[in-house]
Amino acid sequence: MAMAAFVRRGRRIAAASSLISSQPAVTVRSSLIPEEQAPLGVRYVSTQVVRNRMKSIKNIQKITKAMKMVAASKLRAIQTKAENSRGLWQPFVALLGDFPSVDVKKNVIVTISSDKGLCGGINSTSVKISRAVYKLTSGPENENKYVLLGEKAKAQLIRDSKKDIELSFTELQRNPLNYTQVSVLADDILKNVEFDALRIIFNKFKSVVSFLPSVATVLSPEVVERESEGGKLGGLDSYEIEGGETKGEILQNLSEFQFSCILFNAVMENACSEQGARMSAMDSSSRNAGEMLDRLTLAYNRTRQATITTELIEIISGKSALEG
Amino acid sequence: MASNAAVPFWRAAGMTYITYSNICATMVRNCLKEPYRTEALSREKVHYSVSKWVDGNPEKPSIRSDTSQE
Repeated sequence: MAMAAFVRRGRRIAAASSLISSQPAVTVRSSLIPEEQAPLGVRYVSTQVVRNRMKSIKNIQKITKAMKMVAASKLRAIQTKAENSRGLWQPFVALLGDFPSVDVKKNVIVTISSDKGLCGGINSTSVKISRAVYKLTSGPENENKYVLLGEKAKAQLIRDSKKDIELSFTELQRNPLNYTQVSVLADDILKNVEFDALRIIFNKFKSVVSFLPSVATVLSPEVVERESEGGKLGGLDSYEIEGGETKGEILQNLSEFQFSCILFNAVMENACSEQGARMSAMDSSSRNAGEMLDRLTLAYNRTRQATITTELIEIISGKSALEG
Repeated sequence: MASNAAVPFWRAAGMTYITYSNICATMVRNCLKEPYRTEALSREKVHYSVSKWVDGNPEKPSIRSDTSQE
């Protein structure tokens, strides 16, 4: 983004200098004027301009390096929490299963994204997968809705799916992420949205450089009951129910708790992926800034030496003209 | 769906299981002694801003910021 601005400014300098004279005669081999030919009468790009560019690129490089360190430290903090939170949903998946291919009428797609930018492509992949899931699960009698967590998903989905957005949540990371916050959020979703199946889309954190976009499916208690009576969850009936509650009761409690746990894990994993992606984005941006700086330094030195040589030649030829 | 069994008191009051378990958790956290208690209560802070969408337009966002669920 910032790099593109620099390239554009470079072309603008070349365009400005070509406006001064309309007779291109000399081809200057400089990285600042790549394609166009320098017009006659204009010597070289002023060293002041190059120096300013170098200074601003160096500042950007420092900033991106600092952002990378900050992201690395935040990642360390969240990563242990995320790995511990995996233990919350694993028993649920063992008990109730995760069936993305279940056939239901009302799907609600919960897309998790970040609030801040500069984190690489993870938000775009989440939105892309959300749209794909929407297409996959839409049918003649099916109704799909979106629930968005994070600013970035809102910004992207508002363009073409405005009508299908049900709720949107932002400012999630003001306090460090904890279970209470996510469970209150889950509660809000459960109270405001009717669903048969919830599909939670997030980036699973595999390692600092690899993030896997994943879909977790949570079914509503009615659908679980339907499936357990001869559908995919047939094994559920082989469990005995203790205590005074009925199966429907227990399934409802379980389903709410399952949603809350899975959402918690998804939010933590997405936060880790966000920090990891930001680290690698800032790292490649510092590296690009370094390369630009090298090229500009070479151009600057060439220009400087050329001006000095020209001045020397003028002085010497002037002197020899006087003597001769 | 069985409606002959009595629903538990909290569901009759309109709470979901999540709300119920959060309240229980708050009570357990309040039982801790002092240095651990403030640490644990700091793990309960909630803050987010939610906005419901009607017909493709977001309504004014409302901020839910509790320090802990009561």
